[in-house]
Amino acid sequence: MKFIIKILKDFPAYLWSGWGAIASIFLFIALWDVGNQVYGNLVLPSPLETFQTLFVMLQDDSLLAEIKTTLYRASVGFGISLLFGSLLGLFAGFFVTASIMSRPIVTILVGMPPIAWIVLAMIWFGMGDETVIFTVIVASFPIIFVGALQGTRTLDGDLKEMAKSFKLPWHMKFLDVYFPHIFSYVFPAWVSALGMSWKIVVMAELLATSDGIGASLAVARSQLDTPAALALVVIMIGSLMFIEYIILEPIKREVELWRN
Amino acid sequence: MSQIEEKSHATNHYLYYPDEKNIPPYLAYGFRPIFLVLAPYMLISMLLWGLVLGGFLHLEFLGDTLTWHIYEMLFGLITAGILAFLATGLPELFPGLIPLVGKRLKHIVILWLLGRISFWFIDITGIYLTAFLNLAMLGWVIWFGKDAVLDKLQRHASIGYAAVALFIIEVWFFASQLGFAITSGMDILKVALGAIVVLVLLALRRVNMEAINEILEDKNIDDVFISRPPKTNLAIFTVIVFTIVEFLYPQNSALAWIGFACGAAILGITSEYKLENKFILNQPYVIYLASIYALLSIGYALMAWDLLNPDINGINHFRHFITSGGIGLSYIAVMLIITWAHTGRHITANIYTHLMVFFIIFATFMRGLIPFFEEYTNELYLYSSIIWSIPFAIYIKQYYKFLLNPRADGIKG
Repeated sequence: MKFIIKILKDFPAYLWSGWGAIASIFLFIALWDVGNQVYGNLVLPSPLETFQTLFVMLQDDSLLAEIKTTLYRASVGFGISLLFGSLLGLFAGFFVTASIMSRPIVTILVGMPPIAWIVLAMIWFGMGDETVIFTVIVASFPIIFVGALQGTRTLDGDLKEMAKSFKLPWHMKFLDVYFPHIFSYVFPAWVSALGMSWKIVVMAELLATSDGIGASLAVARSQLDTPAALALVVIMIGSLMFIEYIILEPIKREVELWRN
Repeated sequence: MSQIEEKSHATNHYLYYPDEKNIPPYLAYGFRPIFLVLAPYMLISMLLWGLVLGGFLHLEFLGDTLTWHIYEMLFGLITAGILAFLATGLPELFPGLIPLVGKRLKHIVILWLLGRISFWFIDITGIYLTAFLNLAMLGWVIWFGKDAVLDKLQRHASIGYAAVALFIIEVWFFASQLGFAITSGMDILKVALGAIVVLVLLALRRVNMEAINEILEDKNIDDVFISRPPKTNLAIFTVIVFTIVEFLYPQNSALAWIGFACGAAILGITSEYKLENKFILNQPYVIYLASIYALLSIGYALMAWDLLNPDINGINHFRHFITSGGIGLSYIAVMLIITWAHTGRHITANIYTHLMVFFIIFATFMRGLIPFFEEYTNELYLYSSIIWSIPFAIYIKQYYKFLLNPRADGIKG
């Protein structure tokens, strides 16, 4: 509880410190505008036109439904990866044998291109939710697994020894000794896996389904509607930035405070 | 020596004080005579501009009153500002430097005044004399501050470079007015404004640190305020990009996004006011200084918004958030801080300082938001300039006695 209050207390200052980041985003948008002036509206619509299209699209209920569908698929896929990836990774980290065994498998999973997974999933599950969710899981699971594995593998032996000799109760041992260290590995892995899930879900939808943001993107492409396509991209990037910078980053800062 | 270099508060002192005999208090340190003439000059010039722009006083200004009005409000005032800042700050930033006092100080202030007189009589005396006096003044100030640029560690060199850039822009302006350059005077003045904003941001970073740490120490607050360069540098970078793009492509839509970037980057500097342990945003001087950034930021953001919006044509009105607002308030804030701290007193906030800051902000909103209240345009022009002048009248009433008397703590200067 104290932890959450601390995050909330520091939140306004954290939010206010983001102006510099906003400035660099605006500079990037200025470059985008220059790109529009050089290549024309068909190739790269202007930022203003894109934002206006986005505004109109957001008034439309059908788009909100598409966003919901995508969000559902990404969350389920990511949630399963998060749960199993973290648990299995921790488990593998505690046992060297399990770690040795799992490493090559993870390499295979990471090495396989997501697009190949999509093709296989389409054959296995057909055109629907399962294909997308499955692809999200196989793409994000290895990232979380490796993070959790590294976290437990790198635990400081001296600290373990100390906890043992002081006869710390198990919950203190876990919360005060192991958790902060493991979390500092697992959390960044969660963040990158989330980013991966969000990208993969759209790609899978674009190829394998008839609904969701990815499918809308496919429609925009077939109609050469570049403003709509870019508006969808803005939605994806905007939501990812919201989750990463507004929700996850403040937690990460508090969790990693002990490093200083 | 090392102790003096380590401390960085406004109560630092020079190592040497010139042994000139019988220096009157008003010439005992750089800022004193400058503020003594700057405050009334602000009042008198606002009155004169009111009369000229209202058509009551017929001064031709070579047929281009607006351009010359902007020239004077930018260059006429900034040279005094730079002189006050350098003459007061440099001997403390570089303790080996001998302060500018006595006769030398008197001469340079007279040179500034001659520059002002030649400006108001430009229709009679001609551009050459005004150009010579004003360029000589700025050139001399840069020469005085050369140690900052030549400093091996380059700690404050950026201020020197910005001042040199301003000098070159002023030469360019006079060249264009004399027909040696084809660029319009107004376009050059917009470039000058960019350079002045850069200079203000550079100076403010130092003023912030000196003043806020001084206040923290006075109030026994056990924390340190450190303003690190990256945030200011980002703001300066965006302002430079905006200024260059505005000069080359004044109507380009990309300029709008750069304007928003300027607004965000400048506002971002205020996040430095969050200290490790103590909350200082309730300190009046922190609010005054933060308001400068806020006004500059609003100015750039509104200009950006104007560029994206074809229905509004108020970019030059919105620019007043930068000129009358940000730069005007930085004059007031710096005058207050220097006058308190460098006359041997604690930096104090009271009803007068609150009012001075409030009037500048209020007048800026009146002037800057004219596009939204077009039916009251004339009234807003008039009243905003009157309200904007009040702080300088308050300064004369409240602080002249500080400037005309020796330091309260008995130290020379």
